[in-house]
Amino acid sequence: MDKILDTALLMLDGTQITLEIFILTLIIAVPLGLLASIGRLSHLHILSRIIELYIWIMRGTPLMLQLLFVYFALPMIGIKLPDIAAALLAFILNYAAYFAEIFRAGIQSVPKGQYEAAKTLGMSYPQTMRRIILPQVIRIVLPPVSNETINLVKDTSLVYILAMNDLLRVARTIVQREFDMTPFLIAGIFYLAMTAVLTWIFKKLEAHYGKYDK
Amino acid sequence: MANTTNDAAVMLSMKDIHKSFGSLEVLKGIDLEVREGEVLAIIGPSGSGKSTLLRCINMLETINSGSIAIKGETLVQTPPGGQAEYAAQHDCRRILAHTGMVFQQFNLFPHMTVLENLLEAPIQVKKMKKADVLPYAKELLKKVGLLDRADYYPSQLSGGQQQRVAIARALCMKPDIMLFDEPTSALDPELTGEVLKTMRELAEEHMTMVVVTHEMAFAREAASQVIFMADGVIVEQGEPEPFFSHPREERTRAFLQNML
Repeated sequence: MDKILDTALLMLDGTQITLEIFILTLIIAVPLGLLASIGRLSHLHILSRIIELYIWIMRGTPLMLQLLFVYFALPMIGIKLPDIAAALLAFILNYAAYFAEIFRAGIQSVPKGQYEAAKTLGMSYPQTMRRIILPQVIRIVLPPVSNETINLVKDTSLVYILAMNDLLRVARTIVQREFDMTPFLIAGIFYLAMTAVLTWIFKKLEAHYGKYDK
Repeated sequence: MANTTNDAAVMLSMKDIHKSFGSLEVLKGIDLEVREGEVLAIIGPSGSGKSTLLRCINMLETINSGSIAIKGETLVQTPPGGQAEYAAQHDCRRILAHTGMVFQQFNLFPHMTVLENLLEAPIQVKKMKKADVLPYAKELLKKVGLLDRADYYPSQLSGGQQQRVAIARALCMKPDIMLFDEPTSALDPELTGEVLKTMRELAEEHMTMVVVTHEMAFAREAASQVIFMADGVIVEQGEPEPFFSHPREERTRAFLQNML
């Protein structure tokens, strides 16, 4: 029993890297995705096309490949980032692209009449977006954002290949050292615990933003 | 046209309005004038351009040529042989502040309560303090009979109630002209009455109104002027009594017969 506790404590260290990548990616990728979605919907054709290309590349190639690219290929052209920054860059760029598509769909699903009503009341475009459109978008995008966020928790394990000591790698190291499979089990429980917390948070958020529905 | 309101100020003047969507010309030279306190009802078959005409008044659509003036201020004009030239953006906004609009689909803000729907624009656009708008907002809700629903969300109201809130919301900005775009067309028949009653009361208070409608009874009883549009032109225009009793044009007669 003590041994399991020791192992779990060791793995908490790994969890720290996992959470760090998760939280920072989320904090930066969500607003970045929102900006990208607004740019994607912009009447500036060139901006819209550039963002479309970015989204296509990010969604069209494996996240693992993107990680390897940032970590190994960028240094070859003289851009050397610290390990965690390299991982974060790849995660943020990848997730911002997914969030951008979610937000775009959300913004487009708000009926045109909402913009027209705001306009006839004299509201400016920024006022309309901030006060009328985005609050409705939040409710619409919460379920898909929740989905992506839970994916992100699990995707953080991809930094395993960059030799960063995240939860999964710590578990693997102990397994190899001690020929005992319990660390994998504990890792699974840790991931489940994190996603359980997220599920609970999003449930609360959905209830809060959905209160105006019947 | 003998009309007692004729010496009242002109609130809305539209001259030679042309509007095309691509190659489809939907307005082919419309002229009209609405004076203070008048209620203009615009009727006609769907596709006649009547909703588009209404939406041109407050720039939800832009015109290709012609001129529009609201309360004597030019929103858009067209030099001879040229394209429509709109006033500067901030002028447009100031001029359009004289107008309020009610939509077929209500378009209430679903994430706000009834009261918040009314308060939103005065607070955000006119930068008024909540405490200063609140009495008027409540007075308007009382007027449309929904003060007891102030804290409800739109989804908790019937269509007729939602539309009355939408009317109150538009009025809360104190417009001088109210535009109604088929305000009862999305309602179940038993709910149109309450909305029309609210509109009649508004007309009795001498609100200047332009109403695109299929409600012939409303046009007949509440309007001071009726316009029949078809294929992008005004076919016939007049005061409701002669208009409905003795329509001059064959197309008007055919339309009115179909509506009954």
